[in-house]
Amino acid sequence: MAKLERLLNLMAALLETERPLTADELKRRIEGYPEAHASFRRAFERDKDDLREMGVPISLEPLPNTDPPQDGYRIRKADYYMRDPGLAPDELAALHLAANAIRVDTIASAEAMRKLGGVSVPTATDTALASVPTDPRLATLFSAVGQRQVVRFRYKDEDRSVEPWRLDFMRGRWYLSGFDRGRQGERHYRLDRIPGDITAGPSGAFERHAPSTGVRKQPWELGDQPPRLARLLIDADHASWARHHIGQPAEEREDGSVVLEVEVTNAEAFRGFALTFLEHAEILDPPDLRQDMIDWLAALVGQGGTGARQ
Amino acid sequence: MARLSASEKLERLLSIVPWVVANNGPTVAEIAERFDYPESTLLSDLDEILFMVGLYPFTPDQLIEVVLDGDQVWIRYAEYFERPLRLTPAQALTLVTAGSSLLAAPGADPDGPLARGLAKVASTLGINPGDDLDIDLGAADAGVLATIRHAVDNTVQVELEYYVYGRDEITERVVDPYRVTSDQGEWYLLGYCHRAEGERLFRVDRIRRATALDSGFDRPASVRDVSVFEPHPDDPRVTLLLSPQARWVAEAHPVESVAELSNGGLRVTLAISAQAWLERLLVRLGPDATVESTTGDLPEDLLATTAARVLARYQV
Repeated sequence: MAKLERLLNLMAALLETERPLTADELKRRIEGYPEAHASFRRAFERDKDDLREMGVPISLEPLPNTDPPQDGYRIRKADYYMRDPGLAPDELAALHLAANAIRVDTIASAEAMRKLGGVSVPTATDTALASVPTDPRLATLFSAVGQRQVVRFRYKDEDRSVEPWRLDFMRGRWYLSGFDRGRQGERHYRLDRIPGDITAGPSGAFERHAPSTGVRKQPWELGDQPPRLARLLIDADHASWARHHIGQPAEEREDGSVVLEVEVTNAEAFRGFALTFLEHAEILDPPDLRQDMIDWLAALVGQGGTGARQ
Repeated sequence: MARLSASEKLERLLSIVPWVVANNGPTVAEIAERFDYPESTLLSDLDEILFMVGLYPFTPDQLIEVVLDGDQVWIRYAEYFERPLRLTPAQALTLVTAGSSLLAAPGADPDGPLARGLAKVASTLGINPGDDLDIDLGAADAGVLATIRHAVDNTVQVELEYYVYGRDEITERVVDPYRVTSDQGEWYLLGYCHRAEGERLFRVDRIRRATALDSGFDRPASVRDVSVFEPHPDDPRVTLLLSPQARWVAEAHPVESVAELSNGGLRVTLAISAQAWLERLLVRLGPDATVESTTGDLPEDLLATTAARVLARYQV
C-alpha cells in the first residue's frame, strides 16, 4: 500500500507547510515517487486528481520572491477542515436514520456520515421511504445557494445568469428559484430542463434575499388577474384530501362537507382544480367564477365533445 | 467486505483519525464497524502505514504515533488530520436532502433530534432548511401515515377505508402492508389486498381511515419497487386530439403513443384503467381535447355526460 502512505504524506506536507511547495520540493520530501522526471510528473498528477476528486482543496499559488516566477502547491486549512457542527449523539443517529430512510446518493451519504464521526447501526436496504434523485449539477446549485454564488446555464435556448435563492423538490422534480439578472426578476427553473452544464462564480456575489416562496404555489395563484377570494364547497368524502393538500377549511358543515377559501389570480386553473372533484364540489363564490363554471359545462354538454379549438 | 482501493482507504482514514483522537482508546472492531473498514486490514493499515506518516524529514518526532494496546487504539501527534475534511457539495446535498425529506414527512417532530441535527449541519453550509431547500414528498394525513408505517415495520395487517379515485367510490379492505414510499410527490402503500386478492398500490392521501390489526402476515422475502402506473393490456384505450394548449397532457401522463398534428397539437393514445380518471381529464380540457376513438367499453360521449352530471350539481 505504498500509494496510501504517499497520499497521506503528501496531504500532511501540503497542510502543514508555511508557504506553497513546488513539485520538485514535494518529490524530494515525499517517499515513493519515481526518480525519472516524466514518470514522477505522471504519478504526481494522478495523486492530485485523486485528492481533488475526494474534495481535497489543493491550490496552486505563486511563490513569493522567485525569479523567474514559480508556482507551488498547498492545502489551505480554512478550505480543508470541516466546521464541527457539534452534533449530539441522538442528532447524529437521527441523521443516520434519515440517510437510510431517504435514498439520495448512497455513496456520498455514507462518506458524509463517516466525516461526522461514523455510526455503528446496521443499514436496512429495502425499507427506504423514498428516493430523491440527484445529479452533480444539483450539488453545484446547492453550494451556490449556501455560498451565494451566481450560476450560469442555458435555459429555453438562452444563456442565464441567476442569483440562486432556493431549491425545491416537488412532484418528483427539482426546481431552482432565483433572481434572473438578464430578466431582472424572480424566475423558476426545472432542473431537468436545463440541458447542459451549470457553472458557479465566486462566493458572496449577492446579498441574502428575503425568503422566496419558491415554486410552491397552487396553480390558481399563478396568474396576473386581480386577486379574488373564491369559496369551494367540497363533499364529506373528499374533505380529508382537501384538508391535507390545501389546508384548513374556512367552514366545516354538519354533514362533513367543507368550504375552502382561496385567493385566485388564475380563474382557468381554479376551474380545473374544482373539476378534479367532478360532481363532488361546487364553486359558491364569487358569482362570476360560478357562472364561468356553469357556462363552461353547458358548452361541453351542448357540443357533445366535438372539438372546437382543433 | 470488498477490498478497498487506496482512495477509499484514504477517505476512511481521514475520518477515522479525528474520531480515534477524540475518543479514548476505541477497539479495532469498533472502528472497523463504525467506518465500514475491513477489520482484517485495519490493524496493519494503522500499524504499518499510518505509523509511517508524518512530516519531512520523517524523524521519529515528526511521525504520527499509533499506540496499540491489546485491541485498543490511540493516535497522537496527528494535528493536521485532527479534523475531518469538509463535506463535498454532493455529500452536503445528500445529507441535507435526506434530513429535510424525512422532516417534511407528515407527522415528523419539528423540534426533535433530526430537526436539531439538520439545522446544525445546514448552518455550517450556509443553508437554512425550509427557506433555501424544501422537499415535498406529498401530502398525507399524519395519523394515517404513522399507522401504516408502524404496521409495515411490525408486519401487522391494516384495515383501510379507501377512496377509489378511478371509480369514485369508498371501499373497505384488509391489506398486508409491504412498504410505504413516496414517488413523484405522492405517498403510496404497496401491499397485498385481501379484497382484490392481489398486490395493490394505494395512494395514502386517499386512505380515509387506517386501523392496525393484531393479525400478522408473512412478508415476501423481496418486495418490488413501487412503480406507479402499469397499464394492463386489457385496459381500454382512448385516442385524443390535443390542441397546442393541451400538449402538456403528453408530458404529465403516461401516453402509449404520440404524434404531431399539423396545427401544432398532438394525437395521443392513453391506457385508461378507470373511467373517472378520463372523465376528469376531459372535463378539464374541454375544447382543448377531442376523443377520436375509444376501445373497450369507454363511451364515446363521455365528455358530454360527465359535464351534464357536474352541471346538475349547480342546479341549472
